[in-house]
Amino acid sequence: MTTFNLVIASPEGNLFNDEAVDISLRGIEGDLAIMAKHVPFTTSVKECDVYVTLPDESEKIGHTKGGLLIVSEDKVSLMSGSFIWGKYE
Amino acid sequence: MGADIKALRTRIKSVDSTLHLTKAMGLVASSKIRKSMLAMTKSRDYAMAIRDMVDILASVNECKKSPYMQYRDTGRTKLIVIAGDRGLAGGYNANVFRLMSSYPDAEVIAIGKRACERFGGEVNSSEHFSYEEARALSEKLCKEFADGEFDKLGIVSTEYVSMMSQVAKVTWLLPLEENPDSVTRSMIFEPDELTILNDAIPEYITAMLIATLKESFASEVAARRTAMDSAGKNAQTMIDDLRLQYNRARQGAITQEITEIVAGGGD
Repeated sequence: MTTFNLVIASPEGNLFNDEAVDISLRGIEGDLAIMAKHVPFTTSVKECDVYVTLPDESEKIGHTKGGLLIVSEDKVSLMSGSFIWGKYE
Repeated sequence: MGADIKALRTRIKSVDSTLHLTKAMGLVASSKIRKSMLAMTKSRDYAMAIRDMVDILASVNECKKSPYMQYRDTGRTKLIVIAGDRGLAGGYNANVFRLMSSYPDAEVIAIGKRACERFGGEVNSSEHFSYEEARALSEKLCKEFADGEFDKLGIVSTEYVSMMSQVAKVTWLLPLEENPDSVTRSMIFEPDELTILNDAIPEYITAMLIATLKESFASEVAARRTAMDSAGKNAQTMIDDLRLQYNRARQGAITQEITEIVAGGGD
C-alpha cells in the first residue's frame, strides 16, 4: 500500500506526524480525499470530521474547526489551530 | 549598643526572608523555563509554516486585490501589547511600555494583567491566553481592518534572544507585505489564491499572536530568573555586610562589659 507523510500541525506542536494511506476531509469546494502521489495542492478546510487511514488499515478520526491543507511533493500538512482527535458529537 | 545589635539582628532577619523569597521565585521561574521554551518553539514552527504559505500567496498578482493587502495612510494604528501578569521580572514590562511610548496615537489592545493596568481594557492573562480567545480577537481585528476601521496592525511584545537578553519589539501583521524572498511553487490552489489567502489570514494572525504570546512568556520567565538571581546575590552581600556589622557591635559590647568588670574589680 502506497503511503505518504502526513503532518497535522497546531500551535501546540504536531498532533500527528507519521505515514498514512489517505486523509478525507471537507475542503472549501466540497469533500475530498488525498492519497499518495497527489499533485501539489492547497485549499482551505471547513469545519469537519477528518478521517485518516493508517498503513495497518485502521482509521483515526479527528475534528477540525477549519484550517489549511497543503499537499507538497514530500508530505501532506493539515494546519489547524483547533484540531482534536475523536468524532465531533 | 544593645539597641544597635537588636536593630541589626532584625535587619538580617528581614533580608534573610527576602533572600528566601527571591530563591523561591527563581526556582519557580527555572522550573517553568523548559516548558515555556518548548511551547515557544512549537508555536513558532506553526506560525512560520503558515507565514510561508501566506508569503507564497501574497506574491501572486491576483492576491493584491485582497483587503488585507491594501495600504491606507490615515494614521490609524492598532497595537496588541503583550506584557506580563506579574512584576519582579527585571525590565521585562518596563521595556514593553517604553517601546509603546513611540506610538502615542495608537489604539491599544492589552494582553496581560500589567498591560491592562497600564492601558485599560478587560483584564486578561498573558500566561493563560487561549487559542479560542486569540482566534476571536483575530477574527474581530481582520473584519475591522477589511472594513477600513484602521490602517495598520502590529504586536508589541518581547523577543527571546537568550537567557540573559530579551528585547521589546514590534511585529507588523497588517497590511500584508510582499516578501521578496518567498519561493513560488508550482501548485494548484482550490478554488483560487485570493480566496485561500482571505481565508488563511485570520488563522495567520491567530498563529502569530499565539507564537508571540509564548515567546513573550518565555522571555518573562527568563527575565524573572535572571532578576531573582541577581536580587538573591544582592541580598546575600547585604546579609554578609550586616553580619559583619553585627559581630563587630557584639564584640564591642562584650569588650566594653569586660572593661567595665575589670575596672570594677580594680577598685
